[in-house]
Amino acid sequence: MSAPSHLQQRSGRVAAAILILFALIYGYFGATVEYSFSSDPIGPRGFPVALAIALALFGAFYLIRPGEAEAWPERDGRNAALFFLGLAVLCVIGMDHIGFIPAMAILMVGIARLFGATWLLALVSGVAQALLWWALFGPVLGGNLPKGPLGF
Amino acid sequence: MSLDYLWQGFGVALLPSNLLIGFIGCFLGTMIGALPAIGPINGIALLLPIAYTSGLPAESTLILLAGIYYGAEYGGRISSILINVPGDAGAVMTAIDGYPMARKGEATKALAISGISSFIGGMLAVLAITFLAPLFGLLAIKFGPAEYFVLMVFAFATLGSMVGHEPVKTLIGCVLGLMLTTIGIDATSGAYRFTFEQPELYDGIEFIILVIGLFSISEVLLMLEHQMKGTLKPLAVSGKYPTLADIRYIWWPSIRATVIGFVVGVLPGTGASVASAVSYTTEKRLNDREGTFGKGDIRGLAAPEAANNAAATGAFVPMLTLGVPGSGTTAVMLGALMLYNIQPGPQLFTEQPKLVGGLIASMYIGNILLLILNLPLVQVFARMLLLPNWILIPGITALSILGVYSAYSSVMSVLLMFGIGVGGYVLRKLGFDMAPIILGFVLGRVMEVNLRNALAISGGEISILFSSALSIILWIMAAAIVILPWLIRRMQVRRAAAVA
Repeated sequence: MSAPSHLQQRSGRVAAAILILFALIYGYFGATVEYSFSSDPIGPRGFPVALAIALALFGAFYLIRPGEAEAWPERDGRNAALFFLGLAVLCVIGMDHIGFIPAMAILMVGIARLFGATWLLALVSGVAQALLWWALFGPVLGGNLPKGPLGF
Repeated sequence: MSLDYLWQGFGVALLPSNLLIGFIGCFLGTMIGALPAIGPINGIALLLPIAYTSGLPAESTLILLAGIYYGAEYGGRISSILINVPGDAGAVMTAIDGYPMARKGEATKALAISGISSFIGGMLAVLAITFLAPLFGLLAIKFGPAEYFVLMVFAFATLGSMVGHEPVKTLIGCVLGLMLTTIGIDATSGAYRFTFEQPELYDGIEFIILVIGLFSISEVLLMLEHQMKGTLKPLAVSGKYPTLADIRYIWWPSIRATVIGFVVGVLPGTGASVASAVSYTTEKRLNDREGTFGKGDIRGLAAPEAANNAAATGAFVPMLTLGVPGSGTTAVMLGALMLYNIQPGPQLFTEQPKLVGGLIASMYIGNILLLILNLPLVQVFARMLLLPNWILIPGITALSILGVYSAYSSVMSVLLMFGIGVGGYVLRKLGFDMAPIILGFVLGRVMEVNLRNALAISGGEISILFSSALSIILWIMAAAIVILPWLIRRMQVRRAAAVA
């Protein structure tokens, strides 16, 4: 294995700093949990505070020795991931408005395109998958999937 | 020692519904194992919500999930042999001798030999579990809150010392998992912790959302980076079936590999990939006189396959005996049981004999099913390799969304799943393993509740955690497990330095 590059070490250090910061915030909220009575001597605050201390401690070790991390993706990979997440969030929120089948079909077509399908193949497989998953989780398994204005 | 539990278990496993569920699990497991894109833990994460929301009883869900797990060890070999790409982590060594055989036109023989050695490994390991499980069950009554707490510490210690070469990342993962369990209403005092007045958080983070986010969504994000377009080109399944002489030839290598695989599988934190590597190198050292290993020697193929199946089965030992997970996959299965209000811990065997017995009995049946499925139907599974990512990945995404949505009927839950997926992706890029997080999450509540109960009994006196013989033994074992590997490594370094 090659020696970790400067950049990779840096992302480990940044992560460690974020973890320590998180430990402090978590510890603060843990130490200020409000309660009137607890049947045990530790109460609801003790465990979170102990965890916060542990995370801060391990985070400090991690900060000193960040170890190995993989390189972050190039622009293409990053765009693909952002497109995937954006589309997924839109379609999930959109399910309640336009119905499950149309929303899922849009998402399926979009992901198929990301993985190199032609428009025709993406459309056919995307719509087919949307129908298949609807049938499986709706009528077959008896789930209640969101309906759009068209009734599906 | 009584094996009544096993006969009772066969009564459960032989119910027509459970036979069908076991068959589905094994079939899907082989498929999932064959696909390089998804491993057993993803398959389990994706199918858990379906099993749970369709109202299957706990033992049926467990039979299904376990079938996927050990079925995947059968399936993983297919892509190793036909395209030289392991279908899952346990099948890496299978490619070394399997792929050369397929190139020589002996793919049928390679697939059959690996199927048979998988069967030997799986079957003998189930036999071992059958006799081991009740022994540990005897210990269960000796566990009070203090011992429970120490047992959880022990479980974390084993994981921290075994997983990866960066233990601090494992420990951070465990703590993050534990922290997630503190969200919601505290059961002992009724206090609201980290809920920020959001009613969705009162019950805490749901296990299904966490598992699917951490495993499936982060996996899709990782795959998007590489964007494997098009399909792989597997070699043809051709040539003759193995002869009886071939099977006799692999018999002892398979037995040795089973023993190695089972022991490695039982140890927490290690798994099928370590088991198959150790058994392959052992066989090579013992038997490679003509230098045929790596060029298509059937013993080099049989050993890792027997070992990874034995290891997958052995991984159930900590789970079924002490009720603590020994691997990421068994942690997910224990988490699944918690959805049914079954708590992890050593009382699992005594309080749920039907569940444990049903699972073990189903593993006997499952291995026979898998052997039958994998000899004649291997062509069908090999065709799975032709499935392009542009069909597979949309399917995984749809299953993830639907799994969470059908369990909680809430768009917020699905969005939370994507959020957790992004977090999991970032952590994986930074070199973190997801298994410790799941382990922390599964054990967190039990750990905290028992610590607090123990201290309530003693009136705040910490010494209760060291008061019984059992807890002292567990402390010593936990300490030994952390210190010994470190000590051995230091001794090796010193010896190497002395030689040089």
